[in-house]
Amino acid sequence: MNQLIKILEGIGSTLQLLVRSASYLPSLPRQFGRFVEQCYLIGYTTLPIVAILSFFIGSVLALQAGYSMQNFGAKQLIGALVGLSMARELGPVMVAILLAGRVGSAIAAELASMKVYQEIDALVTMNIPPARMLVMPRLVAVLVMVPVLAIIANLVGWFGGAIICSSTSFIGIEPTTYFATMRQNMEFKDVLNGLIKAEIFGFFVVLVCCNIGLNTRGGPREIGAAVTRAVVVSLILILVLDYFVTKALM
Amino acid sequence: MNNLQQTARVGLFFLLGLALIWVTFETLNGGKILKDEGYAITAGFESLKELKQGDEVRMAGVRIGEVQSTRLAGRRAEAILRIDPMVTIKSDATASIVTAGLIGTNYIGIDLGTAGVPDLVPREKTRSPRGFFSRILPFLQPEPEPIAEIQTKTAADLNSIMAQIGALGEKLESSLGSLGTAFAGDGKNPGLIQKIDGLVTDNREKLTATMTNIREITDKVNKGEGTLGRLISDPKLHDELVATLNEIKAGATEAKGFIANAQSIIDHVKQGKGAIGTLVFDEKIGDDIRSSVATLRTISDKISRGEGTLGKLLNDDSLFRDTQAIMKKADRALDGFDDTGPITAVGVVYRGLF
Repeated sequence: MNQLIKILEGIGSTLQLLVRSASYLPSLPRQFGRFVEQCYLIGYTTLPIVAILSFFIGSVLALQAGYSMQNFGAKQLIGALVGLSMARELGPVMVAILLAGRVGSAIAAELASMKVYQEIDALVTMNIPPARMLVMPRLVAVLVMVPVLAIIANLVGWFGGAIICSSTSFIGIEPTTYFATMRQNMEFKDVLNGLIKAEIFGFFVVLVCCNIGLNTRGGPREIGAAVTRAVVVSLILILVLDYFVTKALM
Repeated sequence: MNNLQQTARVGLFFLLGLALIWVTFETLNGGKILKDEGYAITAGFESLKELKQGDEVRMAGVRIGEVQSTRLAGRRAEAILRIDPMVTIKSDATASIVTAGLIGTNYIGIDLGTAGVPDLVPREKTRSPRGFFSRILPFLQPEPEPIAEIQTKTAADLNSIMAQIGALGEKLESSLGSLGTAFAGDGKNPGLIQKIDGLVTDNREKLTATMTNIREITDKVNKGEGTLGRLISDPKLHDELVATLNEIKAGATEAKGFIANAQSIIDHVKQGKGAIGTLVFDEKIGDDIRSSVATLRTISDKISRGEGTLGKLLNDDSLFRDTQAIMKKADRALDGFDDTGPITAVGVVYRGLF
């Protein structure tokens, strides 16, 4: 029962934080520096790991698909399979998981330590709402940067699949055929679908991590616990939201 | 790192993302980064099947454009086709939706049409006035409006083929059912097999006798007895038959030579050579013949009218009567001459001897 109340409390406080942050949106131009800094942390510094992971996910997907589909004589459709899988599912989910692991944990740790060391209280005392200074710029930054990360993840994953298809002897699909099949069986709607999903996942990951960080209570040990909780809740949230958002976008 | 550098990197990163989204959009939606120039035509179908925006338009297998958009127009579906500039389509060319492979994609196939037939769209109208910037940013200028409509035909698709196969299967099943009933009977009426069985059972003795007769006949033939047996077994008859055939063959060869000669003669005649050829094909001789015939006609006319000696001879009765009288007189004179004849003959002999 207590656990359920805690979950409901967490949902309620997250929604409150969302509303408060949205109300501070007009102050964004004055915090442009903070916004850019968050963009840099969320987008630019996450790019290498996103690219590496996407490349290998696309490659493995092509490899597994080629191995499985060679028995059905449908190897030509690997391009479509990799393209659709990356664009609609793996790209956005992988970007969101990386955000949770790399950015979400950092946000939770930063805000939790600020809370534990009473920096948040100091801000409140100075009549500076934490939602305005610490949350809103991060939410806007994630909204701007996640589509960029997701499209890069898609493209890198597609190219990874193409390289594996042409270089693996038992697949032997030329990049021209690979991309032609992809183009024939895909529409931009599929990519847009994935971008919307990534946007929703990224936004909620940052929001949840901010909320958990700001609601940390106790000593320094709670900082680690808050980080762990933030990452776990983010991962669960991503997979639960994935089902509902996918269903809604179909 | 100072703030300016950080801002520049974030800005560059964001622009890169936007550019990649745009490239993906253009690649998946239109097939090309730069929008193609060209002109648009309409093709109406009962159903567009799996055809979608961006699918290819091919003429005799060569890509000449793409499906610009699809729409419903009343009771039919229309595909707006963007055709490459300077590609002309004959006005009698027809478009159809073609499926590439069993699980492949659809495209619009246009045939070449008939040579010499006017173009569907004149060549001077096949280039649209799109500028470079409107090609990169297509929202600056709307897609070209269709300026003509191409004839269409419905190609057989997999669904219709499968439906036909299904109908064929049903017919086959029904036919096999009828055949089974015909063979095995329907419970009330005996089937073909029962009828044959009954026939064999009822006529077993007659059939046995017939089979015995046939066996005897074949035995005799085998032994070379009778006309048929000797024809089959006797080598002499075979030799005679071969000799007869050789004679017929020789006769045919001669007939062939004869026909060749006749053909040669006919060719000579056709060329106007020889007497018959000259007679048939020489115009001068023809004129002479016509002239001679005219002369003969003139003479016969005169004779008919009783003119001239011959005419009078044929037409005048008095001449006949005079001739008859002369003949009578001559007859009488000859009678007299017969009486004196021997004396005169003796006198002649006497004068000769003495």
